[in-house]
Amino acid sequence: MTIVDITIGFVVMMGLLFIGFPVAVVMVAMGVGGGMLLYGPVLLQSMGPVLWGVQNENVLTAIPLFILLGELLLRSGIADRMYGALALWLGRLPGGLLHTNIGCCALFAATSGSSVATAATVGTVALPALSERNYTPSRSLGSLAAGGTLGILIPPSVNLLVYGSLANVSVGQLFIAGIVPGILLTLSFMGFIALQHYWRSDDVILPDRASRTERIRALRHLMPPAVVFLIVMGSIYLGIATPTESAALAVIAALYFVWREGQLSFAFLDVCFRQTAKTTGMILLIIAAAFTLNVTLALGGITNAMSSWVGGLGLTATGLLFALMVFYLILGMFMDVLSMQVLTIPIAVPIVVAAGIDPIWFGIFVVLMSELGMITPPVGMNLYVVHGVRGDKGPFTDVIVGALPYAGIMLLFSVLLIMLPEIVMFLPESLAR
Amino acid sequence: MEFIARWISRIFGWSLLFLSGFVALETVMRKAFNTSLQGADELGGYILAFGSSLAFVVTLAERAHIRIDILHKKFPLIVQSLVDWLSALSMALLGAFLLYVGWFVIIDTISYGSTAATPWATPLIWPQLAWYTALSVFSICAIVLSVRATWLFFSGRFPTLTAEFNPKGAADELAEELRDLRKREGKLHDDR
Repeated sequence: MTIVDITIGFVVMMGLLFIGFPVAVVMVAMGVGGGMLLYGPVLLQSMGPVLWGVQNENVLTAIPLFILLGELLLRSGIADRMYGALALWLGRLPGGLLHTNIGCCALFAATSGSSVATAATVGTVALPALSERNYTPSRSLGSLAAGGTLGILIPPSVNLLVYGSLANVSVGQLFIAGIVPGILLTLSFMGFIALQHYWRSDDVILPDRASRTERIRALRHLMPPAVVFLIVMGSIYLGIATPTESAALAVIAALYFVWREGQLSFAFLDVCFRQTAKTTGMILLIIAAAFTLNVTLALGGITNAMSSWVGGLGLTATGLLFALMVFYLILGMFMDVLSMQVLTIPIAVPIVVAAGIDPIWFGIFVVLMSELGMITPPVGMNLYVVHGVRGDKGPFTDVIVGALPYAGIMLLFSVLLIMLPEIVMFLPESLAR
Repeated sequence: MEFIARWISRIFGWSLLFLSGFVALETVMRKAFNTSLQGADELGGYILAFGSSLAFVVTLAERAHIRIDILHKKFPLIVQSLVDWLSALSMALLGAFLLYVGWFVIIDTISYGSTAATPWATPLIWPQLAWYTALSVFSICAIVLSVRATWLFFSGRFPTLTAEFNPKGAADELAEELRDLRKREGKLHDDR
């Protein structure tokens, strides 16, 4: 396997993907095709156990459980009410309700995995209130699009789970590692909103100051997401539960909250189950496909060939990461997050590990790059969703212009993580001790 | 297809709830009383194998298996139809492939009489049969859909073909979310 063969394979695969064939099918076809060329039909026999191994993997059971958890909290309307409660607390900061957008998305993120659902829900609640109060559309839309990306970084995150299974690193450690960068990025967004406010303030109508009792009473709407987050992260951090077990505990807690809201019914569960099944099927098939492709990549020495080729370039670890940043930035413009992850992680992780980079740290880096991909045009999922939610039929450029500074912040934040990897690593390392 | 998807979702969802209850109980008992029901991990794996294979069908029915549509939606109708037809065909082939490679697993388990290396020592043939059955349901559905796509393609009904087989884009997904959101809001108002 020379680097030329690998490049040809990669180009063919990208061609098939961009024509519009199912991503899972293309990956399996490349795996099988490549495997047959290298080893003949005998390789197919080894793919059976791989398939069973992936689908029978207890760690991955956390994926449907976390998806179900998010669905339960979202569809019961518990999450919808967080916005009003947060507005009372954050609405009077410089920048006003824009902080509420970010805060609400971050809290939402702690419970839900679907960025479409997050952006749609928060957007629908937020946008009428924002335009009523005279916020510039691009600022409102940008903060919503950017806030919506926090979901895949702040644990529990299905994307971190996917990374963990593909890179074969501890999901618990990844979750723990996601906390500090998740909070810091949220704060950076909020800091930017405040700066934006002082630089050129919107002439907005501030909400009336709520009394302290009112604000404290509103906190009860924040209870369910807070409790769920504490159950998941607390049990993992204290070593009481594995990610799968923590997900199960959180599902039971969410069921209780839904019941207390008086929403628990067969029809309600039907909707949640349907969504969970749909998303689980989508993620698991693509993961299973990635693992079958990996059989060929690993046995065919492709991963090794790539590692030594990159090693031969004489890049420093920092140089390599900057190169990867550019690579992910471009790929993210055209590809959805999940496809990007399953296609790149199996190759990229061995390369960066060979360069002495910690795979846990790299997981956070990849997810951060994926977040960036969600708000970079032309294929930035969140840009479309936020644009679709807005009622005034304004131009799409509003969203792009509004989201651009946040993309800049994410890039700067990635550079910060490269310079100071301890930001990611100190929590998981304190756990390991 | 809709009927199958609905019932599969139910089976999938209830098994997840059952699993959550079982695992939660196990975790609490292990920590609080130092006893273990054992086997929660194992059960989780089996439910995932069976459930996710069934879930492939729901994803298929919802047209949610990921496809990159940035160029696809710009193609002329006839090219879109061609790609949709070939995609449906490729899904059927994938289903057949999963059954083919899965069969090696079943054969091995039968010939060695394999059991799980766990306290339960489950004869592996049972969970694997459930898994294989679920994969078969997926394959059959994918094949049925591919036959329909083939028929639509060769009878020249391109608009119907693309309507039924185009990948669901962000716009469709958003429309669904907004519908659900409105339903929720309506309900909350009723409650007040």
